[in-house]
Amino acid sequence: MSQLFDLVMLLLLIFMALAVSRSKDLVAAAIIFPGYSLVMCLLWQHRGAPDVALTEAAVGAGVTTILVLLAIGRTCRREK
Amino acid sequence: MKRLLAAMVVAAAAIPMFAGVAGLPAPGDAGAPAHTRVAARYVEAGVRETGAQNLVTGVLLNYRAYDTFGEVMVIFAALAAVSAVLSRGPPARRPGEARPQVETSPVVAFVIRLTAPFIAIFGVMVILKGHLAPGGGFQGGVILGALLVLLSVVTGRGLERPLLPAPAARWLQAAGPLAFAVVGLFGLACAGTLLGYPAGPGADMLRAAMMLMLELGIGIGGAAIILWLFLQMRGE
Repeated sequence: MSQLFDLVMLLLLIFMALAVSRSKDLVAAAIIFPGYSLVMCLLWQHRGAPDVALTEAAVGAGVTTILVLLAIGRTCRREK
Repeated sequence: MKRLLAAMVVAAAAIPMFAGVAGLPAPGDAGAPAHTRVAARYVEAGVRETGAQNLVTGVLLNYRAYDTFGEVMVIFAALAAVSAVLSRGPPARRPGEARPQVETSPVVAFVIRLTAPFIAIFGVMVILKGHLAPGGGFQGGVILGALLVLLSVVTGRGLERPLLPAPAARWLQAAGPLAFAVVGLFGLACAGTLLGYPAGPGADMLRAAMMLMLELGIGIGGAAIILWLFLQMRGE
């Protein structure tokens, strides 16, 4: 069961990473990326690292998204 | 000339660093101290020696306080770098041009105002409880920083009228390095080494107080820095 959880999460992780890198719309990529962070956060928690999980949720899913969106706002939305 | 100077500065910083890295044990070396002695010692004696129930906090703020000091300085340097870059570039929009007014949805505004006190309590709890449970200054500081960002959005307060008044904010942004300086010098005075902790079972409370001060410094500094990164990147 535990192994299965890891497997599903890792597959999701790979899927999200590909989705982020393949998305031409940077805002969409910026919104998918916190999903990646949340899956990573679950994995950290499941692997017994709650401190890192908390950081991943707060920094990866929260603040990074805001900063990335602001950076997109100052540049342009579509990847060229 | 300027380029030569820059190259020399880079070399002066890089050569000792590479020399230091070259002296480290190879990755995966089974005989490295980290695998043979250090980790076992942390797990066995960590709680007793540091006084922190949460071993991660014990390692971060006691055994590896230097590394954490470095991390805090990196975050502070990031703020300095963003300020330097953004204050020199062209403004986000021309002076006369009005800022595009994006109405915050009343639902969002209401929910943020409603949950703000709870988020604040949670952030403070994460900072203070880092001693005993997962959490600590970095995590709690980011939660508080995110709350300040949300409130800035809802109340529409930008750089010209920030939530934290600018003179106070300047000191709060430096809270992390300042806390490390104070605790580090205190450790120098009473334990003989920079960031040293007084030993012995009698100094439990003192060690806890020193760690708590570091946690608070990291948390408050982190929150202020995140708010400022946000305000500066948004412009105005």
